[in-house]
Amino acid sequence: MNTKLRNGAAGQPLPLIDGIEKVTGRAVFTADLDGADCLTGRILRSPVSHGRIVRIDVSKARELDGVVAIVTGTDCALTYGVIPIAMNEYPMARDKVRYRGEPVAAVAAVDAATAERALELIELEIEELPASFTAAEARKVEAGQLHEGKPGNLEREVHHEFGNVADGFAKAALVHQESFDCAEINHAQLEPHAALAEYDPERHRLTMHTVSQVPFYVHLMLARCLEMESSQIRVVKPFVGGGFGARTETLNFEIIVALLARAAGGKVMMRLTREECFLTHRGRPNTKVTMKIGLDRAGRITAVECEAVMAGGAYAGYGLVTILYAGALLHGIYQLPSVKFDGYRVYTNTPPCGAMRGHGTVDVRHAFECILDRMAREMGLDPFEVRRANLLEAPMYTANGLMVNSYGLAECLDKVQTASDWHDRRGRLASGQESRQGSRRGLGMACSHYVSGAAKPVHWTGEPHAVVSMKLDFDGSVTVLTGASDIGQGSSTIVAIAAAEILSIDIGRVRVVTNDSVITPKDNGSYSSRVTFMVGNAAIEAAKALREKLVNAAAIKLEVAVEDIECEGESFFVKGANAASQSVLSFQDVAIAALALEGTITVKGTFTTPVKAQGGKHRGGAVGSTMGFSYAAQVVEVEVDVDTGQVRVEKVWAALDCGFAINPLAVEGQIEGSVWMGMGQGLSEETHYVDGLPAHASFLDYRFPTIAESPDIDVQIVESIDPLGPFGAKEAGEGALSGFPPALVNAVADAVGLDANFLPLTPDRVQAALIKLRKAARRKEAAS
Amino acid sequence: MSEFLPDFRLVRPQSLDQAITALQSEPGARLCAGGTDIIVNMRRGLVEVETLVDLSGIADLKTLDLDGNALRIGAGVTLRELAQHPGLIGPYQAIAQAAGLVAGPGHRQVATLGGNLCLDTRCLYYNQSHWWRKANDFCLKYHGDICHVAPKGNRCRAAFSGDMAPALMVLDASVEIIGPDGARRVPLAKLYREDGTDFLMLKPGEILTAVHVPVQRGKSTYDKIRVRGAVDFPLAGVAVAWRQDADGAHLFQLAVTGTNSMPINVDIPAPLGKDEDPDPYFATLEKLVQKAVSPQRTSTIAPHYRRLSVSALASRLARALI
Amino acid sequence: MKRIISLKVNGSPVEDAVSDNMLLIDYLRDSKGLTGAKKGCDGGECGACIVLVDGRPRPSCITLVATCDGTEIETIEGQAQNGRLTPLQRAFHENLGAQCGFCTPGMIMTATSLLRDNPTPDDEQIKEALANNLCRCTGYVKIIKSVRRAAEMTQEMTKVTS
Repeated sequence: MNTKLRNGAAGQPLPLIDGIEKVTGRAVFTADLDGADCLTGRILRSPVSHGRIVRIDVSKARELDGVVAIVTGTDCALTYGVIPIAMNEYPMARDKVRYRGEPVAAVAAVDAATAERALELIELEIEELPASFTAAEARKVEAGQLHEGKPGNLEREVHHEFGNVADGFAKAALVHQESFDCAEINHAQLEPHAALAEYDPERHRLTMHTVSQVPFYVHLMLARCLEMESSQIRVVKPFVGGGFGARTETLNFEIIVALLARAAGGKVMMRLTREECFLTHRGRPNTKVTMKIGLDRAGRITAVECEAVMAGGAYAGYGLVTILYAGALLHGIYQLPSVKFDGYRVYTNTPPCGAMRGHGTVDVRHAFECILDRMAREMGLDPFEVRRANLLEAPMYTANGLMVNSYGLAECLDKVQTASDWHDRRGRLASGQESRQGSRRGLGMACSHYVSGAAKPVHWTGEPHAVVSMKLDFDGSVTVLTGASDIGQGSSTIVAIAAAEILSIDIGRVRVVTNDSVITPKDNGSYSSRVTFMVGNAAIEAAKALREKLVNAAAIKLEVAVEDIECEGESFFVKGANAASQSVLSFQDVAIAALALEGTITVKGTFTTPVKAQGGKHRGGAVGSTMGFSYAAQVVEVEVDVDTGQVRVEKVWAALDCGFAINPLAVEGQIEGSVWMGMGQGLSEETHYVDGLPAHASFLDYRFPTIAESPDIDVQIVESIDPLGPFGAKEAGEGALSGFPPALVNAVADAVGLDANFLPLTPDRVQAALIKLRKAARRKEAAS
Repeated sequence: MSEFLPDFRLVRPQSLDQAITALQSEPGARLCAGGTDIIVNMRRGLVEVETLVDLSGIADLKTLDLDGNALRIGAGVTLRELAQHPGLIGPYQAIAQAAGLVAGPGHRQVATLGGNLCLDTRCLYYNQSHWWRKANDFCLKYHGDICHVAPKGNRCRAAFSGDMAPALMVLDASVEIIGPDGARRVPLAKLYREDGTDFLMLKPGEILTAVHVPVQRGKSTYDKIRVRGAVDFPLAGVAVAWRQDADGAHLFQLAVTGTNSMPINVDIPAPLGKDEDPDPYFATLEKLVQKAVSPQRTSTIAPHYRRLSVSALASRLARALI
Repeated sequence: MKRIISLKVNGSPVEDAVSDNMLLIDYLRDSKGLTGAKKGCDGGECGACIVLVDGRPRPSCITLVATCDGTEIETIEGQAQNGRLTPLQRAFHENLGAQCGFCTPGMIMTATSLLRDNPTPDDEQIKEALANNLCRCTGYVKIIKSVRRAAEMTQEMTKVTS
């Protein structure tokens, strides 16, 4: 069969296939589901950071009119969690509470006011224990222990050495070490958490609508914690208002609302407040990074040593994956002959951290790119040149066994250097001519990368990593069924494009049905940027299977061999003829012919990650392994107010190698969004606890950027055509994030000579650091 | 944090008299203008109200009169109107600038001058949910017996965070207050006291109805320190008014918000002489501002920062006016 | 306490008995089934709930519906006419001004009011108008582009019809 490749669907900018719902208000999010006949669920949360539960008395609450069900920790004796070997969290605390805001009980009542009153009537007695809020406090010998068998509150330590670091540093012409403190941050996805659970006590069936990025994992945990047959559970994901990692594991409220629905024998809607979303958390942990890099005279890296300490919050969650990612993804972007990594994930009495966009890599990449810049300065090298001196050559394997199959970083560097007019502008800015009164401008740059899906999923079953089903029926329409969770990133659109491209049909023929466990194939979910790569490839396979059936039917109808069938667009004809000739079959003709052979056609496609992509053999070696890395370079221009410490981002130039842009419009949107999210972490976002109480649990106090201080972002797409990617594509939504904070800090250094070793660069921190810098300069002057 | 508001009775008077009557006759009545602050506080359980008196229907409060002699702004004039008013330039510019920097445009549509002048003081221990405050044993400003900001002190340190007050104070504004005992007028600066719980010198039943600004010469300006370019309350805000005397000396008036439990005037003892070197003068001015303000740990941003940056901003604004 | 109010919602006159303490957003979402306006925060911070009250953008989560007596309310649901998108809706759709779509109804309503006041806003004016509409997906770049594009589309349409 001959197919004219690139019939036009793949590679063309396409608005999201579910975009019209979003702009008309017709998109139904979980909280928009009809709640008229629902009970309202509310959660009672621990007022203390660490303590033994002495007594929970719900009897007064139960007596309140309108209260239908109450559940507590005694109603679920099974832990949940995302990593099978690290499930140490109960949906509601049993025996002990470990952070302020941890659920201890929940009520379902006829309305929110009644539920709220009932919570006030629950008597909760807790014997307080000493609490630790930082990793340093928690690691002290005298610190209260959060979990049994975890002395020093150490959840997981990782020690890896690849190559000989001591030799590497001995060879170095310059060795530089610094420590960085990167604040904890939260996803702050705009849609608050919500779930609707309906339990049918006659059939013993549970139907769950929830905001998840991972409905399959929710399904598993509901079955586990409710001790139900998973066949009796149905999980549906409506429109989801962003995730960024907040919803990549089952969350306590999802299990709680199901427990309430079962206890009530009915339907319970739970909508969390924004404060509760911050308490549910799962954000990026506070990370203290100490890193040492050695460079030879040519600026080539000889050795890297890194220690990362993460304050992970009260439970395991994704913790061990986060700390492993931090070490593993030191690799994969530059040529590193030797790397030593020591990672410590520590329990603290704060809401549990989890996965967040750029999972595990952002803070260590930050340290790396800042130090590299400072070393370049010391050696008189241009920041671009020092990166160029360390580029990889694909295909290759890194020292820790990661496969690099395609590598467009060099082109990314070229693009942003040219676009930002780096050489000329850097000089002009240094003269201060372009700055406002009291301000200085500067340019900084950095590189970053990210995986296109983890080659081994956290929940290993041996199944293919992705399955997509496709149906062709009498009406000539193609329905794609996928469990991939579109959370705004446009994954459903990618699947539709893949189908249209391979089938060479108009995309209008394609409908995508997603995320209903009774209809769509299982999918691991939207995390680690896996969907385009894995689900995209599975969609291509499914479409190819369907196409084969169509070509076969056309061959029978035209009475020629399959090899003699040619296609152009939606036309099928005999090779040598042309689309205008007599014996041309339309798509509808061929579809009817194919259906005549077997009735409604359903096919599926799968994707399994090749073993060669699954990482090193060392313990933890699977984390960081992927089929392909995205690469990004960016330049940031800032203006720093030397009096008020305010840092303004004037402009960003970003280039990302996404392999191939299946939907360039969505790729641009992902790059802009991730660069901007990196800016939030760089400039103003942080959590802040007062004795374990969040002082950041609103959009006034958790300051992610408004439109007012958000800069223009110049985006360029680099296409390295990955040999394993769908149409050559890799991920696009995370890779550019971790380059922003270091490019920002490097730009501030360029503007005002301040080497900031903290994130975020809030004005108070910058001002204090500038004052210190000026004092040091004065002392130096006085001494000389 | 609740999904719903507690029960209350809403009264919508059409005249000031009706409003005053409602305030007097309804126990536990509270005033609501644009509602952009009080409704949020009610959702957080910070305000317990039996009766909410909505002032938005009173036409008398919504007039702005500006002529060669003076400026009178009704308390019900919205911040949007102030920000866009073509007459609020030159000496009155600070008023429009301050109004335009409050919260976001959606708030400014309905938020009023009176509401901003009477804006509840703010604190990280206070502007939290009921669960949060209860877990923290409440505080002096709400049902508790200590101030978590200054536990050894005997008063609430919550920060006054309105933007309009300093802009009007540097113009020597006075406020018109109507209550059960009739009308009175007091200098705006005298409306406030340094107590986060009880920061307004309004008697029961009184309503702030208008602001009077005497005729002005010169120029004025307002700006604020905040982390983001919009939405945020001021970590500190500063207004400066400037004019020249007959000898060409520069006279400044300066007021600050966000740093204390009330907006404060900063005394500037001497003018900047016509030919005087401005650098030492403004260095002194910065010191004066730093001495006058007393920011506390009412926000996650360090008090020291607010002190230093508001003084830097003050001298920058003052310099830009001459 | 309850009271009868009459108002227009997306052009249709309605009379309803509402509680004094009912927020406009709850009225729209729960009583009218208009779930386009979203609750993204705990009060007045995110702008996802913004609807137009007498043509002006208003965070409906801090607005008492009883104070809207006699007003005209416009929501995202009332924008498209006979199913056809408005220029703003089309521009947001075609230029990826909406990713997850949660902020989009508030964003479009605020922008609708802006373009009525100022049919040719520059980027700074767009930023000023949308300053309390938070978005977590787009970095705002394509939102600004969408509003600009909608303004151009409206201008082009006006030229054609005149």
